[in-house]
Amino acid sequence: MNLFSIGISHHTASVEVREKMWLSEAEAREILPRLREQYFSECMLVSTCNRTELYGMILPGTTVTERELTEFLIGFKKADPEVQPQHFTACEAGAAVHQIFRVAAGTDSMVLGDIQILNQVKEAFGLAREVGATGPVMNRLMQATLHVGKRVRSETGICEGAVSVSYAAVELASKIFSDLSKKSALLIGAGETGELTLKHLVGKGIGGVRIANRTREKAETLAAAFSGTVVDYDSIADTVAAVDIVITSVTGPTFVLGPEELHRVMRKRANAPLFIIDIGVPRNVDPASRKIENVFLYDIDSLNTVIDRNLDRRKAEIPKVTAILHEETEDFFDWYNSLQVTPTIKDLRDAFENIRTQEVQKNIQRFRAEDRELLDIVTKQIVNKLLHQPMTVLRAGSASNNGRDETLLRVHTVRELFGIGRRVKGADDGA
Amino acid sequence: MISNLLVDLFQTGLPFLYAVLVVSYGISFIGGARLLDAWKTRVLVAVIAMHLVYLGARTVSFDHPPITSVFEIMTILAAGIAIAYLYIEVKTGERNTGVFILFLALVFQLVSSLFIRDLVRIPDYLHSRVLGFHVSTALLGYTGISLSAVYGLLYLMLYHDIRSSRFGIVYSRLPNLERLEEMSHRAEVFGFVMLGIAIVIGLIWLPSVFTDFSYLDPKLVATIVIWILYAVGLWAKRQFGWKGRKTMILTLVAFGIVFFSMTVVNIYLSGFHRFH
Repeated sequence: MNLFSIGISHHTASVEVREKMWLSEAEAREILPRLREQYFSECMLVSTCNRTELYGMILPGTTVTERELTEFLIGFKKADPEVQPQHFTACEAGAAVHQIFRVAAGTDSMVLGDIQILNQVKEAFGLAREVGATGPVMNRLMQATLHVGKRVRSETGICEGAVSVSYAAVELASKIFSDLSKKSALLIGAGETGELTLKHLVGKGIGGVRIANRTREKAETLAAAFSGTVVDYDSIADTVAAVDIVITSVTGPTFVLGPEELHRVMRKRANAPLFIIDIGVPRNVDPASRKIENVFLYDIDSLNTVIDRNLDRRKAEIPKVTAILHEETEDFFDWYNSLQVTPTIKDLRDAFENIRTQEVQKNIQRFRAEDRELLDIVTKQIVNKLLHQPMTVLRAGSASNNGRDETLLRVHTVRELFGIGRRVKGADDGA
Repeated sequence: MISNLLVDLFQTGLPFLYAVLVVSYGISFIGGARLLDAWKTRVLVAVIAMHLVYLGARTVSFDHPPITSVFEIMTILAAGIAIAYLYIEVKTGERNTGVFILFLALVFQLVSSLFIRDLVRIPDYLHSRVLGFHVSTALLGYTGISLSAVYGLLYLMLYHDIRSSRFGIVYSRLPNLERLEEMSHRAEVFGFVMLGIAIVIGLIWLPSVFTDFSYLDPKLVATIVIWILYAVGLWAKRQFGWKGRKTMILTLVAFGIVFFSMTVVNIYLSGFHRFH
């Protein structure tokens, strides 16, 4: 198989280097047709902040070296001298298929199991198809890649559990409360992580949002963004009694909330559980408050414990993911090998013969005993005649330019039309 | 007779079936096999169906409903727990707490299967439908109370783990605290109502059947005391909006009292309320 892939990623290059090789959509639209003209019969290109990777089927009868492609890409981006060929890694055939699958499965991501990238891969394939750079192999590769993403998500826990502070806070909230739409949250102070946490809570459908900040304008901007209400910074304790989740990210030398206030707050709220996420450094809530019944107080360190645990669990899922990747790579190769002409001719003949035998068996009782042999002969003749033309065309392709584009496409079409051979499971269910 | 055969078969087989069920839910709880997640509920339905066949077969074989001895009642209790759990699972969509609850069913069924006897000759009043109704509502009541205690225990386990940042299997597989509290509360209300019905039926009907009926019967007194205890607890929860850890501890304490008093009443005290 002459599938080739070359790319630069967070494994091989720093962000300064990677950003030089990042391709915008317009650039991708420009480079793909050129790559197709010069080196590949079909190709696609994924470019995100963590990687730029090129996948292509090398034009039959030609060769291309890693060096040529690297130089072409660096030249296109005019990224010399910051980007050097040693920043790239290349793989061929099975390794290339395995690589795109790893990307889709999140085992190649910077944060293990982060498969946000699956969408970007999907878009990259879509774009390549739009500019006419894909063909049967790339299309199939896309189906298989998306299928890998889907399987990994449903069959393993590689993407489960929060691995960022803000998500970890939301995960904890949903371990304490059952219906967030009936709960409300208060954000005290404005920091990036605090806002992000609130954003995730809003994404989870939190019932109400209140914001308190020393500078009221800032609070008003945030309140507008999250359709929340602004509350007075000086009467925080009163507001805390009325909400269920508190996020604090204030910079300051003193505690914003302490055990005394919280004791009062808990009495006021009839001891209903209160979840406090303290993202401030130094901490905003006196750790002594942790002892109060039904108060769940988490600071950055304890949230990091959640994250570490989730990452460990994701790591433990790697063997399962690897098994899926092997299976899917094998499936892809089964399909690819079936694209050879000879097995296709045989499969086609078998498929027709199967139908013929079935129908003859079903109807044989309707014929007189002496006619039955004749029925067999006549039906065989019909099948042979029907198959004659497609067979001839397929064979002609095989003799002159086996492996070339048109033959591949033709074989692929025949297999699709007559439903021959193994298909990627679930590939057609909207993946 | 086919019903005798079924009785023998399931009397031996049911503890094993419940064991299979508990193991299935257990493996699924620790996240061992995704296949089991899909199959465990079907296994549960099948076991319940077989259990009902067993109870039916016993009724036919011995010509009375299986409510005449502690061990007959235990097998009904096991079935009741399994059915109640199935109801909760279907109703809430929460499928990870089965191992804890079905374990109770396994224990009851095991004890029942080991000690149950084939009583054929029993007093006439034990054939009564009203008595059947009285006993089943009482059993459903105690089932509800037991389940509320199990959920209370799970609540405290999860509460402790969340507060001390221990993110193990309990944290990842149990439903959230609020849900556990709600399940415990619902089971408690259900148990309370059923027990109330059992008491009313008993007070109206028993005096007319038993010549030696006494309002001071230990079982009757204990049940009424328990019922009042729960009534006060439920009222206080409503009145003062009690929530969280302390309420769950109270639930467990109440269950402890129930368990203790019923054991004492059944083993050490006697009265008209014993039939074997």
